Amino acid sequence: MLKNYFKIAIAVLKRRKFFTFISLFGISFTLTILVVLAAFIDKVVNDRYPDKKRDRSLYTNTMTERGEHSYNGGAPSFYFLDHYVRSLKTPVALAISSGFKGTNTYVNNKKIAINYKYTNAEYWDITEYEFLEGKPFTKQQIDNSERVAVISENTKKAFFGNVPSVVGKYIEADNVQYRVSGVVKNVPITLYMMYSDIYLPYTVSKTDYKSNTGYRGNYYGILLAPTRADVPKMKEEFDQMVSKLPMSSKEFNKIYCTAEAFIPAYVNTGDDQKSGMAYALTAIGIFILLVMLLPTLNLININITRIMERSSEIGVRKAFGASSRTLVYQFIVENIILTLIGGVIGIILSIIVLQMINSADLIANLELRLNFTVLFVGLLACFLFGLLSGVYPAWRMSRLNVVNALKAQ
Amino acid sequence: MFRHLFKIIWNKKKQNFLLITEMLISFLVMFAVFTMLVHFYRNYRTPMGMQYEHVWVINYNNTLKTQNKDSIMLFYEGLKQTIRSMPQVKGVSYSSGNVPFSQNTMMSGYEYNGKHINPNLCRVDKDYTNVLHIQVTEGEWFGKNDISAKARPVVINNKIKQDFFGNESPVGKFLGKDSDLKIIGVVDDTKMKGDYTDVGYWLYDKIDMDLMPWTDRILVDVTPNADAAFEGQLYKTVAGMMKDSNIEIEHLTNKLKDINYWALVPMITLSIIACFLIINVALGLFGVLWYNINKRRGEIGLRRAVGATAMSVSSQLVAEALILATFSLIIGSFFAVQFPILNVFDLPAGVYLTALLLAIVFIYVLVLICSLYPGRQAAGIYPAVALHEE
Repeated sequence: MLKNYFKIAIAVLKRRKFFTFISLFGISFTLTILVVLAAFIDKVVNDRYPDKKRDRSLYTNTMTERGEHSYNGGAPSFYFLDHYVRSLKTPVALAISSGFKGTNTYVNNKKIAINYKYTNAEYWDITEYEFLEGKPFTKQQIDNSERVAVISENTKKAFFGNVPSVVGKYIEADNVQYRVSGVVKNVPITLYMMYSDIYLPYTVSKTDYKSNTGYRGNYYGILLAPTRADVPKMKEEFDQMVSKLPMSSKEFNKIYCTAEAFIPAYVNTGDDQKSGMAYALTAIGIFILLVMLLPTLNLININITRIMERSSEIGVRKAFGASSRTLVYQFIVENIILTLIGGVIGIILSIIVLQMINSADLIANLELRLNFTVLFVGLLACFLFGLLSGVYPAWRMSRLNVVNALKAQ
Repeated sequence: MFRHLFKIIWNKKKQNFLLITEMLISFLVMFAVFTMLVHFYRNYRTPMGMQYEHVWVINYNNTLKTQNKDSIMLFYEGLKQTIRSMPQVKGVSYSSGNVPFSQNTMMSGYEYNGKHINPNLCRVDKDYTNVLHIQVTEGEWFGKNDISAKARPVVINNKIKQDFFGNESPVGKFLGKDSDLKIIGVVDDTKMKGDYTDVGYWLYDKIDMDLMPWTDRILVDVTPNADAAFEGQLYKTVAGMMKDSNIEIEHLTNKLKDINYWALVPMITLSIIACFLIINVALGLFGVLWYNINKRRGEIGLRRAVGATAMSVSSQLVAEALILATFSLIIGSFFAVQFPILNVFDLPAGVYLTALLLAIVFIYVLVLICSLYPGRQAAGIYPAVALHEE
């Protein structure tokens, strides 16, 4: 049966090449947009490099103090993380790192702009950066305030050129010489909690990380639970700790700070009244709706036209006893075959577009790729698309009156 | 003639309903795209209002151990003098974080005449206008001695003047609930957020002793021949004087490029997507119209047989398509007009109206192009052949 439908579908496609082209064009281009969007989202939120233990971790990256008339938001301070978050029982490790900041350095009268980030030793345990050479700095080195640095692949290239090994060499940043202890694979800037060009021990930070005993500063924390099952417990403990925090000043009456899984933390606005997740989902939803609505309508239009063209065929089949249901089923299957062909073209197109985006280097270190998740999303979108654009025309068709359908020719 | 056309359209309302919906959504998409394009273009045409080509920004952070305001002021005055005395430096000014073309935003709210003003607050010193070559159009810029005045002196930009003071001169007027800010001057509008973003409201406040510890930018106007070697030298000088501070030097030209890039990338992406959507719609429209004409061969043949010219046949078909477009445009305009009426995105009404006009013209042209070829084909139908088929 299906084989027959398939044959009919191919025959219909061949009959009116112009219509086939319009349908395929619409489907494949819509799919391309969706796949590129999916690849981007997938890369940003689903890429497990460098923090591979995401399912055991909670991230804390905002700290808001709110009062009647005042609102102060930002990242948590080192003190808050090291003093209050450290006191929690559940986490087995706490990674603390500063937000990245820019500086420049001058090599042979050439300016190099780089971003730097301060981290503690546990940061390197929780995250699993891929070390191309050398190793991270140790707790010992941090305690001794040693001037050591882990640099990214790109920084190595910019500073030293194409040399085999740079471990032990010195690199100048912010007018200070640091000894290179390791080189790691690049991280895209979209992972703003992990991205940097140079990673330094927090003890060499020029701004005095100890003197700021307020809640707000410029640090992010990653809490690691012993097992995945302990994460809810850890979250609860964290919330309890926050609820007990003393107010830093009279003008505030509420402290808002959460430890969340990666994705909610990533889009956290730092405002308990504005859910970042809701914003992100609405924006993506509206975009997808807009991108899919027009091609779907277009496809429905074209499909109706094509069906009416086949009214004699439908009339004959109905006259010989085919039920409306069979006809609807047949037409939807035909339409899904058409969308799947469009889908294959769309995926080929998206591979080309992704290549172009990667080579244009729109966002530093962001390498977009097709993987199974993205492919699955693409195929699902295709299937939905076929179903949506097939149902209404098929319904119209099934209601065709036999006599009229046969008389039309 | 029109009544007849309406009747024809009404008889096929089911199919025409889908076509109208499709045109309607295309119209709304084009309206959105044109609104953005017109807005960008208008901003692009406004003059920059300042000279940024040879201005550098030094980012630093105050890490002085002392809390004494006098000694902090003294130190930073000294730093400014040191930078100023370098050979390739023409001017130096301190500024708050929202230097030109930076993503940093600092807003504050004031009352004037019961109206609420929400300007960008820019804290700068007396050399700011010289470094960026901003014209003072009315009143005066900060001098040396105005800090002692009872009400805090501030300078506003031209846009605040136009929108809140109209034709009267704002110089000498007071802002704020307790009238604690006195306007001493008006400066030209400057596009602080890059080429494609609108000017916005800007209020300038002078950095005094209390604000100095929170200041973290220095603008440096350099001669055109200042090169990387000089930049390195400047960097060493500043870093040498502020050993505990993180220093970064940026060029305003690069910052402008960056901020323009972030404004343009979404714009270009959306335009490309809209372009594909429209091609898609155009092809679909073309296909449907073409098919409809093939289905109406009998009717067209009959008309030709009783003496209708080729011209009148094709113009009937084109007119039908245009009437459909008109329907969708009337519905679409109803939605589009809500934007300026409800003032949804805080854009001037002129932008919306221009965009509306452009979108209407665009849809008409699109429908015309899509129906011209099918119309001409219909005109080419021979009555003998068409009627013979029946």
